Amino acid sequence: MDDFLIRLEKVTIGYNGKGLIGPLELSIKRNQFWGIVGPNGGGKTTLLKTILGLIPPVRGEVRYGESGSLVFGYVPQSGNFDRLFPLSVAEFVAMGRYCRIPVGVGIERRDWEVVIRYLKKTGILHLRNRPFRSISGGERQRALVARALSGEPDVLILDEPTASVDVRGEAEIMGLLEEIRESRAITVLIVTHFLHTIARFADHVVFIDKDRGAFLTGKKEEVLTDSVLGDVFGLDAIIKSRV
Amino acid sequence: MSVLSEFINSYFLWRDPMIVGVVSGSICGFLGVYVVLKRIVFVSAMLTQISGFGVVLAFYLQGFSTLFFLTDPSLLSLLLTCAAVLIFSLRERFLYISQESVIGWGYILASGLVIVIGDRITQGSHDVASVLFGTAVVVERHETITVTITAVVSFLIHWFLFKDFIFVSFDPELARLFRYPVRGLNAILFLSIGVVVAVTTRALGALPVFALLVLPPVFALLVTDRLKLLFVISPFAGLLSAALGYFLSFVLSLPTGASIALVAVFLTVLGGICRRFGLLL
Repeated sequence: MDDFLIRLEKVTIGYNGKGLIGPLELSIKRNQFWGIVGPNGGGKTTLLKTILGLIPPVRGEVRYGESGSLVFGYVPQSGNFDRLFPLSVAEFVAMGRYCRIPVGVGIERRDWEVVIRYLKKTGILHLRNRPFRSISGGERQRALVARALSGEPDVLILDEPTASVDVRGEAEIMGLLEEIRESRAITVLIVTHFLHTIARFADHVVFIDKDRGAFLTGKKEEVLTDSVLGDVFGLDAIIKSRV
Repeated sequence: MSVLSEFINSYFLWRDPMIVGVVSGSICGFLGVYVVLKRIVFVSAMLTQISGFGVVLAFYLQGFSTLFFLTDPSLLSLLLTCAAVLIFSLRERFLYISQESVIGWGYILASGLVIVIGDRITQGSHDVASVLFGTAVVVERHETITVTITAVVSFLIHWFLFKDFIFVSFDPELARLFRYPVRGLNAILFLSIGVVVAVTTRALGALPVFALLVLPPVFALLVTDRLKLLFVISPFAGLLSAALGYFLSFVLSLPTGASIALVAVFLTVLGGICRRFGLLL
């Protein structure tokens, strides 16, 4: 019996019934760290949203584990939130908890305790009463990660979480993800342009490029080869494995 | 002092309009927070015009039909407003035309029809003017009861679904991911706004209802950065605008609707000064 957590079976991804690329096959298991890479407009975010169930597949089926449902923690591309809403950082992070709170039921004390725990874990507890709209880009990324974790998800999905932060911010966020993975067995899928991030943190890679009809999956050593880097990214690189 | 005592001594004249005004101000101020936060200010303008159109159409149809739902101004206004709300809330795109263009289209259509049909009716022309601009000095007993019940029911719905309305308004994508019924919640939210708009427009008039839906939330956004406080300050500002507007209208013999709207405008200026000097709640 294949103990998959997420499986794409002959899935064609796309919008409004129009396929972009497919049929795709992918099997993601518990506690794996997947990096999703590819050129701009290559279909990375569409793939991610299809996995999340936000966009229905044009063809094929997306299956979720044995139970048929998973709790997702989702970090969307930052900067998409309306700054008019005067939400505090704590209120923002608490929204990640709503996956466990039904419609018509308010946030209870134990939910706030979980929120506080993840505010602490992400190092932004001191910002909890600050308006979310007023914090810096790096702090916002931490709040997004805290929000995704506060639902205590089976799978954490991050869409370019380091795109709007500097090198230091990127190191902090990736370090935070590594800490979380060490303290709690969690499956992670991350979309990023930064190959060095994938090379360092991911154990599996999806490479997707709808224009070339390319979809490669597997362990990172198998996917991030010299030829892929040369053909797709124009990099004259030699991959050396770290001992 | 004599003006105030005269006002107090005449309470039997303004009691019911004042009750309707402050209740409408409170509920419009409360619901208006969503209108402003969701950046759909002109939806409330469109809805107040459609509601006004419903009233005018009912007066016009009284000459042709005996069907109750076509000739009762309140009922037809409610039906048309709810229909507009449902169409608007359940569709995000209309033949590749943006929502705001459709809102503008609906506003102009309703406004044009109000003027054209209003010109055709002799009976109730005073009511047409009161519906549009809010000259409601006299309020019937049943209107006071209807407005109050509508406001209480709306407050209760929003009390139970507060977290959910904020969630689907702020981050509909995450709400969909968490299997929240985003369309259903939006439909309830817009319907509550639509029903309140229809009922209060009949009692107060389109102009003051539009003003009470937009300006108290703007004032609240200017004086606080706290979400929950926003939903306390805005209804209070709506209540204050209505009460003060009625008072000024009474003592200075001003048109009631315009007085309410101008008091609300004054509050937003005050809010802007508070924000400028960092005087936040």
